[in-house]
Amino acid sequence: MSGLSLRIRLRRDRSLLLMTVPTVALLVVFNYVPLFGLVTAFQSYDPLVGVGQSEWVGLYQFQRLFNDPLFWGAVGNTLYLSFVQLVLFFPIPIALALLLDSVLSERVRTFVQSVVYLPHFFSWVLTITIFQQMLGGAGALNQFLRTNDLATWDVMTEPGTFALLVTSQVIWKEAGWGIIVFLAALAAINTDLYEAAAADGAGWWRRMWHITLPGLRAVIVLMLVLRLGNALTVGFEQFLVQREAVGHETADVLDTFAFYYGIATGDYSYGAAAGLFKSVISLLLLWGANKLAHAFGGDGLYRR
Amino acid sequence: MEKGRSHSMGIELNRRSFVRAAIAAAAFGPLVSACSSAPRPQAGVNSGAALQAALPAHLPNTAVPPDIPSVAGGPGVLTDPGYLTYPSSRVATVSGVPGRGGAYTAVTPLWGTVPSPGNSFYEAMNKALGVNLTMKPADGNNYATIIPTMTAAKRLPDWIQLPTWWNAAFNVGGLAASQLADLTPYLAGDKVKKYPNLAAIPTGAWQVGAWGDKLYGIPSFSSSFVVTGTTYYRRDVLDAKGIKADQVKSADDLLNLGKELTDAKRGVWAFDDVWTYLFPSWGVPAKWKVDNGKLVHKYLMPEFLEALDWHYKLATAGYLHPDAVAGDNANANTRFYSGKTLITGGGTGTWNLADHQSGSAANPGYRRGSFNYFAADGKSEARMFMATSSTTVSYLNVNLKPEQIEELLAVANYLAAPYGTAEYTMVNFGVEGVHHTVVNGVPTANEEGKKNVQAQTFPFLASPPAVISNPGADVVTRDYTAWQAANAKALYKPVFWNMNVSMPQAMATADAAQAVEDSIKDCYHGKKKVSEVQEAIKTWQSGGGDRLAGWMDENVLQKFGTGQ
Repeated sequence: MSGLSLRIRLRRDRSLLLMTVPTVALLVVFNYVPLFGLVTAFQSYDPLVGVGQSEWVGLYQFQRLFNDPLFWGAVGNTLYLSFVQLVLFFPIPIALALLLDSVLSERVRTFVQSVVYLPHFFSWVLTITIFQQMLGGAGALNQFLRTNDLATWDVMTEPGTFALLVTSQVIWKEAGWGIIVFLAALAAINTDLYEAAAADGAGWWRRMWHITLPGLRAVIVLMLVLRLGNALTVGFEQFLVQREAVGHETADVLDTFAFYYGIATGDYSYGAAAGLFKSVISLLLLWGANKLAHAFGGDGLYRR
Repeated sequence: MEKGRSHSMGIELNRRSFVRAAIAAAAFGPLVSACSSAPRPQAGVNSGAALQAALPAHLPNTAVPPDIPSVAGGPGVLTDPGYLTYPSSRVATVSGVPGRGGAYTAVTPLWGTVPSPGNSFYEAMNKALGVNLTMKPADGNNYATIIPTMTAAKRLPDWIQLPTWWNAAFNVGGLAASQLADLTPYLAGDKVKKYPNLAAIPTGAWQVGAWGDKLYGIPSFSSSFVVTGTTYYRRDVLDAKGIKADQVKSADDLLNLGKELTDAKRGVWAFDDVWTYLFPSWGVPAKWKVDNGKLVHKYLMPEFLEALDWHYKLATAGYLHPDAVAGDNANANTRFYSGKTLITGGGTGTWNLADHQSGSAANPGYRRGSFNYFAADGKSEARMFMATSSTTVSYLNVNLKPEQIEELLAVANYLAAPYGTAEYTMVNFGVEGVHHTVVNGVPTANEEGKKNVQAQTFPFLASPPAVISNPGADVVTRDYTAWQAANAKALYKPVFWNMNVSMPQAMATADAAQAVEDSIKDCYHGKKKVSEVQEAIKTWQSGGGDRLAGWMDENVLQKFGTGQ
């Protein structure tokens, strides 16, 4: 870092700084100011009298929370689903991007890309309805099996395979969208490298291993860090819609827990406590993952 | 509470601090919940005698005689009158304009497209009412989050609708004591006679708007035959199979019918969700029962477990539509119309002209029928608890002057004019030629009417008692009135009927019993055994359920009785 004083740097970068003002303002108004609402987690919040006059109860809400088996059930489900998605979902967009990158025909590539992007714009309600119509107990598949006197399997209401079901829904809906960032990273790799490597006799596999994957490494690590930091955020609507189908003990994640046992019953402070707990753990996870990325020599969220 | 010591707890969750937290919670729990009720202004529950003195007298209105008169059932039960055609002579029940030119604002929930402010219908209504009433309908789906911001800022409009199912969320009991006008001096006893159309509203409905033995609310959409719902069946389909609904006299009969009607290969399952409307057949109350002077929650009744067991069997036997098992309630009507399900539960509000039209569009012979209430064992007397007499109650602002309150009550009297009168026609159909035309004797909305009148804003402030009328579909009116008449005797007033109870947050949480309700749902979808629900009930009991029963007993039953 050069030895320029803060004032000189401010003057030098003023137009850039000015450009960030609207975003910062939005961030402050919609992300930071509402943080003050977190105080309700330490209150017995009553919407009638507002935050100012609600009674302070210290850590009572957290004590309730840590004694609630349903809460730990939701934590367990969240971590489990997060793990399954990390293993089964995370590699898919990378593989898909590599596959698409190897397609030479521009038209085929654009077409495939549009098709796999599309589900991202569907709502979860619609996505799950489509799954229900296809795989549900009265859906196309089971009705076909039934009319042919074969055994049926209602995967939509089977708690045992719920993690696989939601992961396949996520893959169907989001994998196409997830390739964008990897495609961009692939496009940034210097094509001369491939030509030089090919000239030196490197096969497809060697080029992949020594050029493509190292070129993607920074992005993969960044995405992994973000994913780990969001380990406690596995989605909300997807579970809200399917909660009845598999039962609350299977489908409740931290976000739906806060909704059903906090907001839905007017127990706002309890929901706020659950939300705060989640945020604190998420922050620690993000910090840890970032440290790990730096330890492996990567950039992580920012360059050291 | 010791903040310093427990501060690190959230981060360093080691075993010792966790155990300490558990003990602290157990020790401080009751203490905290005991004082949490202190800062809320409470209007509490209603007592018998004092409440009776506050309630308005009941004088039924006979301005427009019905085609199918009401039938009396048990105490306080009266079936809704039926009208086969829209009355042709538009009797006027209000002479002149009720208002004196005052300016007011009203907020009501609206499920649909909000009409534009200052539209032709609002203008016509203001002229008819003689006031300058600014209607501000708010999105019904977000109503529960819009209102608390107004109450917190103490900025309620002059007239506001507070649906009773959000009473707890809005803390209406607390509002009544601080921000809502006491209408007792204007409406109690014979005073209501000044407003004859309001006097025609049944007493039970007024009780819903009473807090702390004072009258605050004006009930809309009231009725003396209110139930949570009933078990419907496709009458056209069952008739064709030669099955008569009154052959179903017990839960076993119904289960057998499920077997007979289910044909999964053809995509037909006998049942959609019925639990909410069928469990009373086992003699289970809505929530509480008084047994030898002792208050018992329905969760702790053996009959409740029997009811659950039957529903569990129904699901596991495969008579319940898979989409219902998957929790897809939104398409339940579509399944029923298309004949994919033949028996379904639902509120009585479903039994109307719109339903008949939708059903007939899918299936020309469509006819909705309902089983009569029956006792699950087939031997006992059929019993169904009555629901709250009105679930939509409007309130006036405490800051209004007495003459302003009188002016708005006169407006409410206009809005509550009975079915078929000149005023009713104005409120529900607007001005003839501008908002509706009369087709076959029935006022039918034109484009302007569809846009601005059909949204139904004013009836949420005040409206006459319910009638059954489906012009163009006599079969619906006849079927529904006949069913009501056949079941009027089965209705009874449950414990704490129409009583407003405002409870501290910890009690309200126990009362909502989210964890138990979730387990129940899993059970009647065949995913959880009855024994697992019993486990959830045990946890609920120790986690607040038992304290709730004690609280209800001490603060409601002992002080104010059962309300029956």
